[in-house]
Amino acid sequence: MATTLTAVSGPAIKRAIEARDAEAFIGFYGDDATIRVVDRNNPPSRPREVKGRAAIRAFWDDMCSRNIAHRVDVTIAEGDRLAFTQDCTYPDGAKVFGIAVLELAGGRIARHTVVHAWDE
Amino acid sequence: MQTPHTRYALSGGVRIAYQVTGQGPIDLVFVPGFISNLELHWEEPGYSHLLRRLSAFARVIHFDKRGTGLSDRVDVQHLPDLETRMDDVRAVMDAVGSGRAALLGASEGAPMSILFAATYPERTRALVLYGGYAQFHSAVLSAEQFADFVRKAEQSWGTGASLASFAPGLVHDPRFSAWWARFERLSVSPTAAIALARMNATIDVRGVLGAIRVPTLVIHRREDARVKFAAGRFLAERIPGARFVELPGRDHPIWTGDIDRVVDAIEEFLTGTHSAAASDRVLATLLVARLAHPERAAARLGDRLWAERIAHLHGRADEITARHGGRVIGSGSETIAARFDGSARAVHAAVALRHESAALGIALAIGVHAGEVDLRSTQAAGLALHVAERIAALAGAGEILVSGVVRDLVAGSGLHFKERGATTIGGMDGPVPLLAVVAEQHLEPRARSPAEPDLAALSGREREVLGLIADGLGNAAIAARLALSEHTVKRHVANILLKLDLPTRAAAAAFAARRRV
Repeated sequence: MATTLTAVSGPAIKRAIEARDAEAFIGFYGDDATIRVVDRNNPPSRPREVKGRAAIRAFWDDMCSRNIAHRVDVTIAEGDRLAFTQDCTYPDGAKVFGIAVLELAGGRIARHTVVHAWDE
Repeated sequence: MQTPHTRYALSGGVRIAYQVTGQGPIDLVFVPGFISNLELHWEEPGYSHLLRRLSAFARVIHFDKRGTGLSDRVDVQHLPDLETRMDDVRAVMDAVGSGRAALLGASEGAPMSILFAATYPERTRALVLYGGYAQFHSAVLSAEQFADFVRKAEQSWGTGASLASFAPGLVHDPRFSAWWARFERLSVSPTAAIALARMNATIDVRGVLGAIRVPTLVIHRREDARVKFAAGRFLAERIPGARFVELPGRDHPIWTGDIDRVVDAIEEFLTGTHSAAASDRVLATLLVARLAHPERAAARLGDRLWAERIAHLHGRADEITARHGGRVIGSGSETIAARFDGSARAVHAAVALRHESAALGIALAIGVHAGEVDLRSTQAAGLALHVAERIAALAGAGEILVSGVVRDLVAGSGLHFKERGATTIGGMDGPVPLLAVVAEQHLEPRARSPAEPDLAALSGREREVLGLIADGLGNAAIAARLALSEHTVKRHVANILLKLDLPTRAAAAAFAARRRV
């Protein structure tokens, strides 16, 4: 495919998340990337891991199929690392708040770590 | 445990109660069977374990169908048919912003989920059917059996009497039985229960099975007490491309029996992998002693003397159990159940208990089995206890019968056994070998002073773990050092203690230091 890869940047992340654009987000990852999720059901000693492009595609396809209002309010970039906050609201008012750190290699995401909490 | 908030979605003017647990990437709608009550589910350890495990990888959306549980009551003449239930699922999905979800249909939830998947494939990510069926009368109860079920429900709805036909393995578990009776009462009124059952009896979705185009997993327990195994196989055969997983067991509700195997199958199907269950299950040895021929002894001694002796026996059983590092977990008028950390200690306690009871003129039949029990449950219910009870039932007066696994675990302890064939027990993968404890030969020295634990019994990995225990490392640190999950480490530690017959981690550390592991 002759698509030009969008550079991973704070504004690009904000746009992809707020528009629930799964394709755009999947394009940010390197081939061997890993997503690590830490939350109340997946404690730090046993984080949930999503490895490789196919699994990451399924992950974002699932996440973006949800009717959620996302807001990315803060993005901080420092060399090969980028951090952002994610403030999400479901139609029934339930909220999720997460903080993510992206570690880049060769301009693509190599590791994406997210810690989040939610109304339950 | 804090339970999730119950919220309400509006569906055609009726409010449907729902809860959401977890934030995994996959939306999973849990479609319950016959009856449900969202808040009561959390009071049952098996149910909450099921929901917690599912919510580690999925956002679990569960609800009470209209007329049941916490949802609006409706005229019993207008209970929801399958199509109304589908609308209710869509209303809940809309409320929680779920564009497409995997559906987990359990029991009567299966035909509804089948219809949903066939009708709304664009909103169905995948379909999982557990203990399900397509047509009620061929899979669950014939017309005559159903008439009988209704008669019984009219007389005894709310007493929990229906448990035997759903989960025979839990009938003797007083805690679960009491919960089941509340489950009946708090899910639907008697009149609604009967109306709902009548409507479910008309279910037949065989005609739509071939129209399902979403990835499907069918799970069925081989000896399912409520819905015939053949009904599950039928679903898998008729749904194009469906995967079929058969599991051992006879208890029907999805939150009973070996829940972890069901969740492992679901997680693997939906995510391509499965994580180890949270480590709240440990290996324990269970002893069940039953009075052999209590009526004969009672007749011989007279009621009053008999009652005194039984009370005395219970007191002695408490002492003996405590002395062997165990804990009495249940005692009835004719049975005593105790739990031990080590198999050898359990068998030695059984020998002492038999001796003590004989002195009181009471004959005991004792069964001993080792299996996984739930750490959080104060009563060791579940399969392992059921197996110990079955073994005790097979033991003769004055006999101590143990399962093959107990014999394997006490190797080197100086105990002797005689083979007594094998028995089939529902829920176990294969026949369970039985062995009788042979009387110790006149106080042989090695039976009096247990042999030094034998390191050769340990696997290479277990020795590594033992070495790290001796270094003072906790489970998490050992897991990190050996690149294992903490759950696996806990299993290794439990096995090490069992094989070495040591009571505690500290004793294992001391032993390892002594032997320079």
